Amino acid sequence: MNIIESITKSDKNISDYKSNLQKISLDKLRVNPIPSSKNEIWRQTNKSKFYRFLDFKFNNDFYYPQIPGNTKNHNICRIIIGENKKIKFKEKKWEIKELEEKEIYNFLEQKIIQSDTTQNWSNLLNHFLTDRKNIIGLNISGKEIPSLEIICNSMTNFLNSKTLLVNIEEETSVSISQINIGDKNSALSISTYFNIGKESVVNHGIISFGNNKSHIINTLNVRQHKNSEYILGSLQYEYDFARLEININQVEGNAKTNIKGIQITKNNEQISTYANISFNGPNGFLDQLNKSLANDKSHSVFEGLIIVPQIAQKTDASQLSRNLLLSNYAKIDTKPQLEIVADDVKCMHGATISQLNEDEVFYMRSRGLTLEEASKLQLRSYYQEIISFLPISKERWDLLALLLKDK
Amino acid sequence: MERKKEIKQPLLEIRDLFASTENLTILKGVNIKINPGEIHAIMGRNGCGKSTLSKIIAGHPSYEITSGQIELCGKDIEPLEPEERAQSGIFLGFQYPIEIPGVSNLEFLRVATNARRKFQKKEELDTFEFEELVKEKLDIVKMDSAFLSRSINQGFSGGEKKRNEILQMALLEPKIAILDETDSGLDIDALRIVASGIKKIANKNSGIILITHYQRLLDEIKPDFVHVMADGKIIKTGDSNLALELEKNGYDWTDEFINKK
Repeated sequence: MNIIESITKSDKNISDYKSNLQKISLDKLRVNPIPSSKNEIWRQTNKSKFYRFLDFKFNNDFYYPQIPGNTKNHNICRIIIGENKKIKFKEKKWEIKELEEKEIYNFLEQKIIQSDTTQNWSNLLNHFLTDRKNIIGLNISGKEIPSLEIICNSMTNFLNSKTLLVNIEEETSVSISQINIGDKNSALSISTYFNIGKESVVNHGIISFGNNKSHIINTLNVRQHKNSEYILGSLQYEYDFARLEININQVEGNAKTNIKGIQITKNNEQISTYANISFNGPNGFLDQLNKSLANDKSHSVFEGLIIVPQIAQKTDASQLSRNLLLSNYAKIDTKPQLEIVADDVKCMHGATISQLNEDEVFYMRSRGLTLEEASKLQLRSYYQEIISFLPISKERWDLLALLLKDK
Repeated sequence: MERKKEIKQPLLEIRDLFASTENLTILKGVNIKINPGEIHAIMGRNGCGKSTLSKIIAGHPSYEITSGQIELCGKDIEPLEPEERAQSGIFLGFQYPIEIPGVSNLEFLRVATNARRKFQKKEELDTFEFEELVKEKLDIVKMDSAFLSRSINQGFSGGEKKRNEILQMALLEPKIAILDETDSGLDIDALRIVASGIKKIANKNSGIILITHYQRLLDEIKPDFVHVMADGKIIKTGDSNLALELEKNGYDWTDEFINKK
């Protein structure tokens, strides 16, 4: 495994890495070069696929991606990580600008130092790999901001690594679509940090769209301050190996989090989502729905954890996992969990795994719809709930049509 | 409603039909013939095979025809898939219409209508043309257009679900409609709306089978023939007076009939 060798090899090579952030990440990773399958969040990971991810040759070069969908005539601010373009968008009511070099460094240094080598292994790997030109730090303020689109991509035959930091100032309202494009036979490591200021609303979409034998490890780290609202929609599709780690911390409580995600697996793919939501103050709210659809011999994993300590009284949290198994050989593992210490809370979790409903299919067939049309209508409704949650318009990228076409 | 009784090729003819599910024989020799313009009622106790008969005609995959024939306009329908039967003009009004969350009623109706129209060699309708047509048909069952934007039958009351079934019947213009306990769960007003809708849709070229337990639907829609079903077969056929007789005397006599056999 190329990457593991570069983590464990002798000290003399450390100086090859120019950035101090990379060095301190490497020091941390050396304690635990590879996650153990005894660790709950790595237990279900398909080893051969994960090792394949680590076996790609690392490359920090920029390569302009083919941006999917209709890219013309949309009022969008687009940023491609690694492109090295100066970022400054400004209007009367809003501003998007780059964070200062020092702010980026200090923030990431703190994060790396605080990172647990087991729980934050994916972030540490990302910070070890990513060079400065593949890190973007943004400061966003104001209202009526045009949609922001951030593109991350990986090149065929290589592992690429990108880091995104976004500070959202108080009383800001913004929609951000993060589009991760995996070229065929490639790997991508992405770490994203959002700091959401008081009274702000962030509508965030993560669309990870792979190709033949794409791999991705994507971590999302969100800190929400008082009276903020964070809305996340996610879609993971066409990856041989995909892993989304979501860590959300309502640092003062009194915040709202809405998450809806879908992962679609087929052939021999494995797609996993790990969600860890912590409430560190009272009156927090969470509504999370994770859907998966597994076909052929694929494997879909969801593990969720809601942490409600003593301080988080009056928390209202719900985490649901709904899964559709389309083949007798596909596998779904789901485990929504609660860890509650506070005594005055309303928390629920649940999971369902089912197949396409035969009564529904017969009802539609009895009206003249073919089996394929009936299944398609059912899938459309299954997808629609999540697709409509993503902050990307149908005109920009008709994701629903794309998913149904591929059925 | 004016119906002319003429001798034509039957719309639907069932001959000595035996059918089973999970190795259990449910239908044990059903015979029935429906001519164009006729309305037939099938009555009988719970479990006598009425709903099974309707599902078998519609092609439910859980049931197997072990012997006998079902012909639609002289054509054996056994090899046809459920959707092919529907496209050919068979309509089953469900006793318990299925709720399908997330699937728009309007979109579903449009796809279903176009599947039937394609079979009838009529031009398929685009969204706008279909909306015009469906609005016209909504009047038949006194439904509000708001129902169209909702998911199929989701959150509909019992009466609304049955009206939605009749709306589908109006759009699909079937040759033969089998309405399985369409009157169950309806209050008097809803029953009248549904019955009035069925009468408006009925015509001299199509046939209707009403499966029911009660006379009250037949007070609204007078059948040409009433069949009594017991133990998987039709044991008696008569005119509308037979239904009145059943209302008065119940089904106990059918036990004697079965025992005698």
